[in-house]
Amino acid sequence: MLISVDDLGVIYRDLHSGDAIQALAGVSLDVQEQEFLSVVGPSGCGKSTLLRAIAGLVRPTRGRILVKGAEVVGPGANRGMVFQDYALLPWKTVRQNIEVGLRFRRTPAPERTRRVGRILEVVGLRAFAEKYPHQLSGGMKQRVAVARVLANEPEVMLMDEPFAAVDAQTRLTLQEELLRLGNVLAFTMILVTHSVEEAVFLGDRVVVLTRNPGRILRIVEVPVPRCERTWQRFTSDATLTQLRDEVLAMVRSQVDDIPADDGSA
Amino acid sequence: MSQARSASFPPYGSSDPPVGAGWGRAGLRRVVRTLGPFVPLLLLWQISAASGRWSADLFPPPSAALAAFWDLIRKGILPTYLYNSLVRLLTGVAFSVVLGVVLGVALGINRRLGEALEPTTAFFQSIAEIAWIPLALIWFGFGFQTMIFLVIYTAFFPIFFNTLIGVRSIPPSITEAMLTLGARRHHLIREVVLPGALPGIITGVRLGAGYGWRALIAGEMIVGVDGLGFLLFSSRSFNQTDRILVCLVLLGALWLVTDRLILKPCEEATIERWGLVTTQGP
Repeated sequence: MLISVDDLGVIYRDLHSGDAIQALAGVSLDVQEQEFLSVVGPSGCGKSTLLRAIAGLVRPTRGRILVKGAEVVGPGANRGMVFQDYALLPWKTVRQNIEVGLRFRRTPAPERTRRVGRILEVVGLRAFAEKYPHQLSGGMKQRVAVARVLANEPEVMLMDEPFAAVDAQTRLTLQEELLRLGNVLAFTMILVTHSVEEAVFLGDRVVVLTRNPGRILRIVEVPVPRCERTWQRFTSDATLTQLRDEVLAMVRSQVDDIPADDGSA
Repeated sequence: MSQARSASFPPYGSSDPPVGAGWGRAGLRRVVRTLGPFVPLLLLWQISAASGRWSADLFPPPSAALAAFWDLIRKGILPTYLYNSLVRLLTGVAFSVVLGVVLGVALGINRRLGEALEPTTAFFQSIAEIAWIPLALIWFGFGFQTMIFLVIYTAFFPIFFNTLIGVRSIPPSITEAMLTLGARRHHLIREVVLPGALPGIITGVRLGAGYGWRALIAGEMIVGVDGLGFLLFSSRSFNQTDRILVCLVLLGALWLVTDRLILKPCEEATIERWGLVTTQGP
């Protein structure tokens, strides 16, 4: 088992009202090596909190998280995170941005150059290596953010709504690229998203969370191997579309304050 | 007329070096655009002085100011005084940069420290540097230390607050991303906080040096040893209005030259290269 989340509960204090808010309660789940795990749920269900707790950016109030048997006590290079707003360093070039984790960890320069060179190639950023982030499109920025984490060769890549800020067309491309990267580089990923389609398309399993507090409602297996998935197939494959509709219904069952009249995601 | 103009801006015309490839025609246009509006101002000065409404002793024409300017240079007064003033300004600003950046970063990265000390800094900021002069004179005497104290006190706050704002404007996700890539505290300060706050720091230095320059002149007037402020104030004793006008023109011209040739290009270089947007100083 790569990652075990054991009876995780997170309570935090709202900065404005000062109220204690229970974000997560009794969450237990395991993540296998090289698995892609998606987490979906209605907004405010604590899915980001779950991801941030695994990253070590949020302290559990209850329970614990183990990565390869070692308890998570804070952020570390073995759990790299990709953010919705890219979080690149504007004053560094693409190459320097990708290199930064390796420099923190004092990887020797030749090894650094080799790894960054390979990742630039795989992610398709070689021509952009000396550009600055503001010269790139949103899609390219997110490629850099992914490359930056993967260059570090972490145990797991954590993604928090990574494609929410890019346009719809780019999003499809990036999602397919992520699947391809998974085949080439064989890494583990936990993805938090509000898009049920994205969760089903990218995950080996999909975790559906309840709201207030976030608990696990169900964990659904996606029966189609990742290497066989494309968006074209996804829209025509009955297994996948049916699964998507099931998950969508689960998520919508948690949204009690919105009238269920449109039926679309 | 053209003589008077060159008298007003001697350093500009002589020290207008080619700074990179952007100079040449574009540079010339920039100089014309910067200096252009001063031409009608000089004309107005000349015309009103020549109108005879006021005596030349009270309101000397540009030509008289120019003569006084050459006289001050020939006697060696202006070069010495100017040098002393600039040394004081640079020393004071250097101290302010160190203090302002260190405290700005410390309060910026430590929320509790920031909340605890911000009212204090706001309190001291609201006390004008001139109000400190009596106490500074008693503490430090009529000399270098008093003037440096005034410059440091004045330049510190803009540098400190702009550094603080610069640090706080860094998106938390950048810091968090760095932590998940293995960054330690010293990495964060070197790789995130300082470069992230740099546009703020540069803006702060621009403002701080400008305010410090004014404070120094005020200090030199009171302390009265030497320097541009002393020259300005002591010229009053013998009704040397031409000298006073020379000093006034120099005060503005020197700042314009320093700001346009050194500080502003620095600010633009960092901000434009990184594609950052920041508040622009005056």
